[in-house]
Amino acid sequence: MGGRYSRRDVIAISGAVVLGGAAVTSLAPGRTFGQEATPTPDLLRAPEADPQRGGMVRTAWGATTAHYDLHQGASSAVLANVYDLLVMKNLADGLRTIIPGLATSWEIADDGLTYTFTLREGVTFHDGTPFSADDVAATFNRIIFPPEGMVSVYRSELGPVERVTALDPTTVEFVLSSPWPVFLEVLTNPAMVVYSQTYLEANDQDLRREIAPGTGPFIVTEALPGEKFSLARNEDYWNPELPYIDGIEMLHVPVWTDRGTAVLTGQADLSFNVSPETWEEGATRDDIGTARLPCLNSHTAIINNEHEPFNDPRVRRAIHLAVSKQNLIAAISATQEPVFLTTWMPAVAPYAPAEEELATRPGYRPDKEEDIAEAKRLMAEAGYPDGFGPIDLVTASDPQHSGINGPAVQEELRRSLGIESEIRLVERGLLSELYQSGDFDIIVEGAFTSNLVDPTLLWNANLRSGASTNWSRYANEDFDALLDQITVEADETVRQELFDQGVAMLDEDPPFLMIGFCAHSAMWHASVKGLALEDRLFSQFGRFETVWLEQ
Amino acid sequence: MRVYILRRLLLAIPTLFGVTVLIFLAMRVIPGDPLAMMEASEGATIVLSEAELATARASLGLDQPYHVQYLDWMGQVLRGDLGESFWRGDKVRDLVLRRGPITLEIAMMTVVVAWVIGIPIGIVSAVKQRSWLDYVTRLGVILFLAVPSFWLGMLAITGSVLAFSWRPPLDLVQINEDPGRHLQIVAGPILVLGIGLAAVIARFTRSAMLEVLQDDFVRTARAKGLSASTVNLRHALRNALLPIITVSGLAFGGLLGGSVAVERAFGVPGLGAALVLALNERDWMVIQNLVLLYGVIFVVVNLVVDISYGLVDPRIRYQ
Repeated sequence: MGGRYSRRDVIAISGAVVLGGAAVTSLAPGRTFGQEATPTPDLLRAPEADPQRGGMVRTAWGATTAHYDLHQGASSAVLANVYDLLVMKNLADGLRTIIPGLATSWEIADDGLTYTFTLREGVTFHDGTPFSADDVAATFNRIIFPPEGMVSVYRSELGPVERVTALDPTTVEFVLSSPWPVFLEVLTNPAMVVYSQTYLEANDQDLRREIAPGTGPFIVTEALPGEKFSLARNEDYWNPELPYIDGIEMLHVPVWTDRGTAVLTGQADLSFNVSPETWEEGATRDDIGTARLPCLNSHTAIINNEHEPFNDPRVRRAIHLAVSKQNLIAAISATQEPVFLTTWMPAVAPYAPAEEELATRPGYRPDKEEDIAEAKRLMAEAGYPDGFGPIDLVTASDPQHSGINGPAVQEELRRSLGIESEIRLVERGLLSELYQSGDFDIIVEGAFTSNLVDPTLLWNANLRSGASTNWSRYANEDFDALLDQITVEADETVRQELFDQGVAMLDEDPPFLMIGFCAHSAMWHASVKGLALEDRLFSQFGRFETVWLEQ
Repeated sequence: MRVYILRRLLLAIPTLFGVTVLIFLAMRVIPGDPLAMMEASEGATIVLSEAELATARASLGLDQPYHVQYLDWMGQVLRGDLGESFWRGDKVRDLVLRRGPITLEIAMMTVVVAWVIGIPIGIVSAVKQRSWLDYVTRLGVILFLAVPSFWLGMLAITGSVLAFSWRPPLDLVQINEDPGRHLQIVAGPILVLGIGLAAVIARFTRSAMLEVLQDDFVRTARAKGLSASTVNLRHALRNALLPIITVSGLAFGGLLGGSVAVERAFGVPGLGAALVLALNERDWMVIQNLVLLYGVIFVVVNLVVDISYGLVDPRIRYQ
């Protein structure tokens, strides 16, 4: 099979993705408020004509979780199949459209400030508790107004939501303080699941210690963190078509090569992220399917804009121009995972430029002669004609970052601009403390990421002046003003123009060095069907209730 | 003997006390706490205020003074309770009982395989000193001493994947559940590690045997007409065993402590892999108790090795 990923295709398709407008009305050219969503006439099913029933699917990836509360950061790659979302990405069309989940339809007020969801009837939680609008209100109010001691991971993503009210047992209303065009998209995050109000109250709002009952297609029958999770089909699932398989066995396999060899040898049926060499081997075999799934994580060198001389935009612009992104991408792609040449948003973002066109722009083009000349002029103007250093260049202590990514950035800075650096190795888990304290000049990592294909949240969380995760300490008043417009603008044509302006601004006054957004190397046995893996818009672990096994 | 064992056991108390203090402080002094890890695990989407951090820490009992936290832990340990995971509430005892046996089995069987391979090679090499057999075996020993076991393991797995489209299972199957599948999991690490350790054992056996073979009592044994095999095995080998036991004991401890790397290389979900995960999750209670367990095992193994000296060599008396 060898479903090789073509970025050109993905970019072309992604431009037509419906983001938060209607349910499954696909390929709408624009998005405006005041529309009533058109719910899908049919329930979700596998994209193939005659899916077969039965069998167990074995998966191999990092299937473990530190605890079980998804709203406090538990892993949705493990738990998403136990729960349901109000609305979700369509597994049957490669995660391109938004379709109903526990909400069957929704209305958006003309001013874009009120979302009213009509909920599915006859749904019960795995413990037999009936599902109602009270559960939705309790769930989202808990995220927005977390009780004492709760770490509400997704509170900022629901930022403008002022209150959530159950109007009646099957209607729930979300009131926003300002328009939030990506709101429906936010709700498709696999971790934005609906919990039972009864269970929340019975457990004092803390779900970290036990797996709370969900309404989802599978039920956890055995939880062995760091080893495996076993799930069985929910016989009473509200969608009578799903799931097709009897259960899932999720093996925790931390080493990427082991994941790949597990699929190659039939120890596992599917992995979303395997090592480059095993993926290449799989791509040569007829009984194995492979795909490069663009992901929403990036490789970056975060520059501390408050430290001299990086507080001078000319120095950051010089780095953006002179460093060869192609060299860095080649180094990372050969040893870890494929990386795309991108601007300041994922390759599959609907507003991202085509790769071919991007490769002609200053700073992105492979021929560096003109760019380095301009970069050196800027450095001289800033007072550093011969470079400077040594600066503090931090990388995670794992082999890929400390052995390849960090030294590659170090060498590019030295060779192109004479910027000398000393590499400091830090355990990966401690990088967040460095980001917060600002005790670094450059951190080579991937701290520019979000859960959405749409870059609105990504930019607001990471590039707005004073934002809590603006690790580069970037401050650009003009860019902030542009973000204000982007955040509330619903019209797709206008949004495209605004994002184009944003990219131009960031290229001119770069917050840090963007290397590129990556892809996951997915590999599965040819008998695994129902997930449209070869055609997926982006990589998302978690839900796979449409999966079936060809006998 | 009884007094010796009792004295050694009493000496183990300060050793283990030191282990508990060191690991307890290490977890709290080194940068990063469980909540820092939690933020990191969700990328750049959340930053807690100081007040939020304080309440979140309190919910995990991390707001107590160090001495209170330490005494609480020791109280649990002395009651035979290995505690629970910070986050999930999983019993550490259950984790040890589920994943400990396979780690222990690999370590023990590795030593057995090393003895079965290494001691005969060492004897032959010593008895046939400076023969072509000696040179060949020494070359093999040096080769396997130089090659890291984890690399050999990865090579073995890669080879089996490419040649036979087979690799050892990645899940944990206990021996009583499915002996065949269990054997597939443990055979690789036992063989590869066993061969590596056999090289060490062979080297020690050869040098100890060469030394003993020069002794007067060996000459006497030969002079009174005993067969070569009786002289070599019953007289010389028994006297050469002490260094082999010592190195085997050290290696056994090393195999348990080093199970972290071995299990990662072979994809075995044993106790070492559990410790790595606990470190990644900064699950202090799991880390503290597993490290304490490793400490206890080290102390016991050393004691057993010391006691075994007297059994092998009656000249050794414990005063």
